[in-house]
Amino acid sequence: MINEYNILISSVGGQGGITLARVLSITALSQGLKVRVGETLGMAQRGGSVQSHVRFGENVYGPFIPYGKSDILLSLEPSEALRSTQYIGKKTKIIMNIVPILPMSVLLKEVIFPETDDIVERLSGIVSAIYAIDAVELAKNAGPVECMNMVILGAYMSLGEPILTISAVKESIARTVPSRFIKPNIKALDMGMHKMKELMKRRKQKSEI
Amino acid sequence: MGNEAIARGAIEADVRLVVGYPGTPSSEVIQTLLTMTERSGMRVEWAVNEKVAVDIGAGAAMAGSRALVTMKSAGLNVASDSIVSIAYGGVDGGLVIYVADDPAAHAGMEEQDSRFYTGISLLPMIDVFDPQDAKDAVVEAFDLSEEFKIPVFLRSTTQVAHMRADVMLGSIKRVQRRPELQHDIKRYTRASPAWCMEQHALVNSKVEKMKSRLESSRLNELSIPQNCRGVGIVASGVSWNYLREVMNSYRVRNVAVLRLGMVNPLPEGVLRRLITQVDRILVLEELEPFIELRVKAMIADIGKPIRLYGKCDNTLPRVGEYNYNVVEEAMSKLLRFEIAKESFDIEKEKEQGRRLAPGRSLPFCPGCPHSATYAAMRQAFRQLGYGQEDVIVTGDIGCTILGMNPPFNMCWTEVSMGASIGQAIGLRYAGIEKPIIAAIGDSTFFHAGIPPTINTSWYKTDIVIAVLDNQITAMTGHQPSPSSGYTGSGEKAPLIKIEKILEAAGIEKVTVVDPYDLQKTKEAFVEALKRKGPLAIILRRMCALVARRMGLREKPSTVEVKKCTGCQQCIRTLSCPSMSLLSDGKIIIDSGTCVGCGVCVQICPSGAIMGGDRG
Repeated sequence: MINEYNILISSVGGQGGITLARVLSITALSQGLKVRVGETLGMAQRGGSVQSHVRFGENVYGPFIPYGKSDILLSLEPSEALRSTQYIGKKTKIIMNIVPILPMSVLLKEVIFPETDDIVERLSGIVSAIYAIDAVELAKNAGPVECMNMVILGAYMSLGEPILTISAVKESIARTVPSRFIKPNIKALDMGMHKMKELMKRRKQKSEI
Repeated sequence: MGNEAIARGAIEADVRLVVGYPGTPSSEVIQTLLTMTERSGMRVEWAVNEKVAVDIGAGAAMAGSRALVTMKSAGLNVASDSIVSIAYGGVDGGLVIYVADDPAAHAGMEEQDSRFYTGISLLPMIDVFDPQDAKDAVVEAFDLSEEFKIPVFLRSTTQVAHMRADVMLGSIKRVQRRPELQHDIKRYTRASPAWCMEQHALVNSKVEKMKSRLESSRLNELSIPQNCRGVGIVASGVSWNYLREVMNSYRVRNVAVLRLGMVNPLPEGVLRRLITQVDRILVLEELEPFIELRVKAMIADIGKPIRLYGKCDNTLPRVGEYNYNVVEEAMSKLLRFEIAKESFDIEKEKEQGRRLAPGRSLPFCPGCPHSATYAAMRQAFRQLGYGQEDVIVTGDIGCTILGMNPPFNMCWTEVSMGASIGQAIGLRYAGIEKPIIAAIGDSTFFHAGIPPTINTSWYKTDIVIAVLDNQITAMTGHQPSPSSGYTGSGEKAPLIKIEKILEAAGIEKVTVVDPYDLQKTKEAFVEALKRKGPLAIILRRMCALVARRMGLREKPSTVEVKKCTGCQQCIRTLSCPSMSLLSDGKIIIDSGTCVGCGVCVQICPSGAIMGGDRG
């Protein structure tokens, strides 16, 4: 029995963070878990920040993850990971897409956008592990770039978290996305899974040296 | 989602009519029910505004039908005029008024605590804490409404309305009814003072009777453990969830807990039982100390020395929403425990990280006709020699207000539906000599913009009314407006022409332009600003997101790299999200999101952008 398990998804409106939350929560439901999802949308449709709090377990009642208590942060955009630091802590593992979405203020050089390396370094001091992936590149290989969220989901599925099964996740994808997009989404999922296995292998080799 | 659960509750209660006006976070109830009208046989509609919705719902319920009316907190203010009166006469069929408040102002409105409307209207109100509770409460609210023959409020907040959770469905009951309205002017009119006072006394007695009936209701759940240590907690709404999590993680037992679902009438017997058992009480409720003040009064009445923790002693905030940590903090004060925190350095690191994330101000969507309108307005100002501060634009509710953001910096004010026009009049009356433009969307104009328009022409006030008609209620998720030409369920409907209303309201000069035509739009504003008002311009072009969904998208625009000088005038004028910069400062347009509106094509001084609607 799971007592409390928290996944935070941070994204920019339009990136597919809400769909990702939906796939995760439907999967958990199908596996008989108690589920709560809270979302801070604001006017997300218009390129604002979106946070989805996906929570499983018997002691889960509220829509939001308590500060510092995320087990997982899936960030579809690097600066959105920074924006979510309130919810991450020592036990958190982060999977982050490294391709930024620059706000207009950055394009017009009014504000500086933080370097990805700096973001990774800063966050790794807070959490137990961080994996940075070019999920956009991988998604492009799988089909439409909109599948980027599934690359991140795939990476999560290879992390070794023993809660959701891959077959249940694939079923949820088939139930959530329009039928003509099922194939590329599953392909993106597989690519993410493969990528994460590779990253973890490399990390293990490094630590053995 | 909480709102979807409420929709399900309406089906289980065999509601026959659901009507409302879109408003975050309430809209999904009607949106959900609109997708299943054929199966449910329910009549589901968007009304022109919340007052009209409540009047329609009340009419149906007076005739014995079950009706649900939905709105956001600000909508309740609009509907309140009727609600206060409907409360007096009551209804025979069930009438439930669903209102969703927005603590933390996620949708950008006041943090209104609508529970206070129970004091004004005298009506009962159920406050729900999660989707399951919300669904069940809909059925209970209808039963109560019918039993006591008065409308009942159902209230939620953003985090309940938008919370997703597993919900156990109940059975669908069928209620057979024949529509009938009693001809009873003593009940249904208020024109006689004597009848009014009788009706007033009747509402009070109905609510008083309901109070004793609800002492043992599921809605108010009191648990007093056998070895209760003199500590009690009252929790209402979403706070209840945070309380349970905190109690579980700190293994808090031996405290008495009351979950309060009925905020009016308060279950005084239950509260009294709690108060007599404890000497410390914590009240958990978001926004104002509504329950807390009532508990305080009861404590004074009972005459027992009790320490009350809540908002009055600053244990909890009145601003913003609660979460686990807010409740944890209050509980640590109540039960005197320590909260384990991360080291100071880590907390500092986290905060610095947050500060490094650049803010995302809300831009207009790619191809938004409003961005073209505001760009043309700017060009008109420039042509007439007006600077940024020389023309006042009063803003209104909806997407049109995004014109307040850079790079447009147009709208100066935002108050409530339709207020742009009345405020423009007031500014002129105050002696402001600058040109004044009231910028209002189509749905907002139909909702509350018509009376102030009539006021404008009645007194010949020198203002320009700009109706930004994108033929939809866009901000709340694209619900149709009377200028869409179809209804919420997609049926064809008469297209109500705003120019005809403006003309009938006495505005003598009304111009209709397509904002995608920058030159003509600019000219329309130049003309209007040169003349003495009242005048009106209608900027008509379908919302780009709706057009895209309908397959009406043009070929995306492209940039000819050789011609682009990197002057960035396009990005500085429109801030279109489809545009980004290459490393050499030249523009690139994302073909995935560009809808080919062609507005940037008209702005580029070196003719480097091609394609689009009129390129």
